[in-house]
Amino acid sequence: MPDSKLMTLPEAVARFTWDGMQYASGAALPVGSDAIAFGRELLRQQRGDLHAIFHCNTQQLNLLAATGAVTRAECGFSGLEVFGFANGLRRAVESGRLALEDYSNLAMPLRLLGGALGWPFVPATVNIGSDIQNRSAFDPAHTPSRDKIPSVVDPFTGRTIGAFRPLTPDLAAIHVTLADALGNAIMLGTEWSRFELSRAAKKVVLIADAIVDTGCMRQFPNLVRIPDIIVEAVVHWPFAAWPQGSPGMYDIDEAHMTLMNQALATEAGTDAYVRDFVHGYRDVASYLDMIGRETCTRLSGTATGFLLDPFRQWLLPAEGTAA
Amino acid sequence: MSAQDYTRQEMMAIATGREIRDGELAIFGVGLAMLAGYFAQAHHAPRVRAMTEGGVYGATPVGGLPWGIECNRISTNATSFTSAIDALGCLVASGRCDVGIIGAAQVDRFGNVNTTAIWDGPIGDTYRPPKTRLTGAGGANDIACGAKRTLIMVAHEPKRFVDKVTYVSSPGYLEGGDARARYGFPGGGPTAIITTLGILRPHPRTREFVLDAWFAFSGVAEIKANTGWALEVSQDARVVPEPTDAELAALRRVDETGALRKKS
Repeated sequence: MPDSKLMTLPEAVARFTWDGMQYASGAALPVGSDAIAFGRELLRQQRGDLHAIFHCNTQQLNLLAATGAVTRAECGFSGLEVFGFANGLRRAVESGRLALEDYSNLAMPLRLLGGALGWPFVPATVNIGSDIQNRSAFDPAHTPSRDKIPSVVDPFTGRTIGAFRPLTPDLAAIHVTLADALGNAIMLGTEWSRFELSRAAKKVVLIADAIVDTGCMRQFPNLVRIPDIIVEAVVHWPFAAWPQGSPGMYDIDEAHMTLMNQALATEAGTDAYVRDFVHGYRDVASYLDMIGRETCTRLSGTATGFLLDPFRQWLLPAEGTAA
Repeated sequence: MSAQDYTRQEMMAIATGREIRDGELAIFGVGLAMLAGYFAQAHHAPRVRAMTEGGVYGATPVGGLPWGIECNRISTNATSFTSAIDALGCLVASGRCDVGIIGAAQVDRFGNVNTTAIWDGPIGDTYRPPKTRLTGAGGANDIACGAKRTLIMVAHEPKRFVDKVTYVSSPGYLEGGDARARYGFPGGGPTAIITTLGILRPHPRTREFVLDAWFAFSGVAEIKANTGWALEVSQDARVVPEPTDAELAALRRVDETGALRKKS
């Protein structure tokens, strides 16, 4: 029997992150599933000078940018969908504290796929001809940019296209709905780019809303898009995506989404947010107290709850999943 | 003609939805674009094959305007969840998608869209931090490159309708004429800019957007005054029919939380 990879969140952050690293979030678009709890722990352990690889901005990048922990970022989208502009990220970009390299929402997973496959480059038929190709925040002195999406010739047609640089982040902290102790994972809702990211990253840590018995994976092996053989550690952290939502588990906390984004719009607001919601808990129990137990119950009443039904019989009680 | 009151935003959404034909493979962005698309499905295009770039298929939003294109309001009744490479790549960048609806912070005379940032004047040769950072391209660049035709939905204000966007996030016809051909995009480019005042369409040769139609509550003078370039008026420009009662009812079923009914 292989060993359990269950680990506490502080231990995972201590073991797998460092200042200056290339850190990738595994999420489902801006307001969906994302291990925002992992970002809070990065701040608790005072990580800095991070190079963020986020397919899309989320409240995690918004927070890490607002506090200055991220100095370089690559994204396909930098807003918060219906919740508007990401004020913390926006402030960091406008002040010049953070260099944000723009791509599109297809470019990012293609670059991850290129990294996963070990390709030298990925042919680009999007982003070419626009200022995404022309302008580079990482190499601002050169317009048109020399090596962001350089032009290459398709050897078959002679047509000029672009070349995307593959991505191989140092670590991917991937939010999943269900994981077993070995590191097999099931995602409910769109996987977005978590499949490609899990293969592109040098190391993968899963942050799961719930832990299931491995029997669940044997029942639904087609749904296990991240297998244990590429996973270093599994963290059980309920409401890990809060205030964002996780299909099957909990809805978005609309009030906190707004409160958080408003706080991150100023330095003083960010300091207060960090004090109250980054240092405002000691463990999972006090984290859930911080969200509010009634809020947790309300958010868990999501209309998507039926998506979890086929898996409920394998859910393990929290006391069995402490690392 | 409708006896009901409706907002400019509702007219924009209905005019956009009218561009969607039954049976098409269509991709909708978050927010108002999604309401326009699902309005078409609820009204005249029941067999539209709708998707979002989130890789969520077969879904109809519940509970009002979705928070995002992946959120629980659109994950409640989906028939398939896949991925970004699937939705934006296999189904859009490949050239398979018939029509996409995108938004814009700024749009120019050739239908180029800026959603990245606003600078205080030209950027210059050295890329520099903007005055106001916006949301970036998201999937709109991929839709603008790959969808057979693109519809741009945008509030008609002078600051948004500029002669030349400072930053091209999503390509329209670039410098006009056949400029798009240099890149071999499978997509044909924007066929309409639908605004809170009317509809602009590209001239077949120059690809410059000209005024094609105004709404019952607007007119040529108001539209010209709100456009940052010398807007030409098409010879057969006309007024767009007002929303019918059936159209408004369908739109308001989709826009349950009234996002489009806020007077703007």
